[in-house]
Amino acid sequence: MITTANVLSYLIAMASAVILGIILRLPLLPDKPMRESWTISVIFPTIIIAIGLFAIINYFKIYNNIYTALLIGIFSAIFSKYLLERAFPKPDLG
Amino acid sequence: MEIIIAIFIAFVLSWVNFVFIDIWMGLPESPGVKGAGAIGKSIEKRGGDLGGGYFSGNIVCSPDASAGTLLASCSYYAFGSPEGGLIAALFVYFGNRICADPGYAGTTGALTATVLIWATSYIGITPYNFIVGMVIAALTIQGLYHPVTSKLIGKMARKMNRKVIQE
Repeated sequence: MITTANVLSYLIAMASAVILGIILRLPLLPDKPMRESWTISVIFPTIIIAIGLFAIINYFKIYNNIYTALLIGIFSAIFSKYLLERAFPKPDLG
Repeated sequence: MEIIIAIFIAFVLSWVNFVFIDIWMGLPESPGVKGAGAIGKSIEKRGGDLGGGYFSGNIVCSPDASAGTLLASCSYYAFGSPEGGLIAALFVYFGNRICADPGYAGTTGALTATVLIWATSYIGITPYNFIVGMVIAALTIQGLYHPVTSKLIGKMARKMNRKVIQE
């Protein structure tokens, strides 16, 4: 369950993803017009990946503490920067 | 709460959630893939609106806010807590990437649906009411009569400044 105590963990997961994403030079926002942009940015999808992964960890109670949240955030930023384009590549729109 | 009233409220909320987010994210503007374009042109040929047709085509071809709302409801129900909605948003995003879609509409739809389900749980509307409501909402757009629904979507899209930009 999401409780007041683990809302803090979600915030830590998001914050660590954002901070490492900025350090790794991911753009903060997608290019404009945003709804058509394929740019991988800090706001989208790094935060979505961080909270989605932490929700899985939190639900199944696999080490659901703030250190795990920190690690999930770090993993999300690294995944977005280096692995997402390889795992789910942008289609050839031509 | 009486189940029929709960399903009706869930239907209205789901309809508003997915239609407004999908239009806002530009589904009526252009087809994301060739299949969506073919569906849009077929609906136009049968007397419908091209923008509304692209909207229907895009919904069929990738998980947009309609699928996001439905999957968030199912996942919320299965997990029994809002975490289900967050997990659904993550998998909707991956599903979008596989379906040649950047993923904004689906992910936003799943997250807003999660917030709606969580908020309405305090007045006795459960996630399974939302599952039924969303199926009915999708039926009204995709399953009844395309020419009328596509004209309605086209009109709403023009009001929201999301005109067809690619014929």
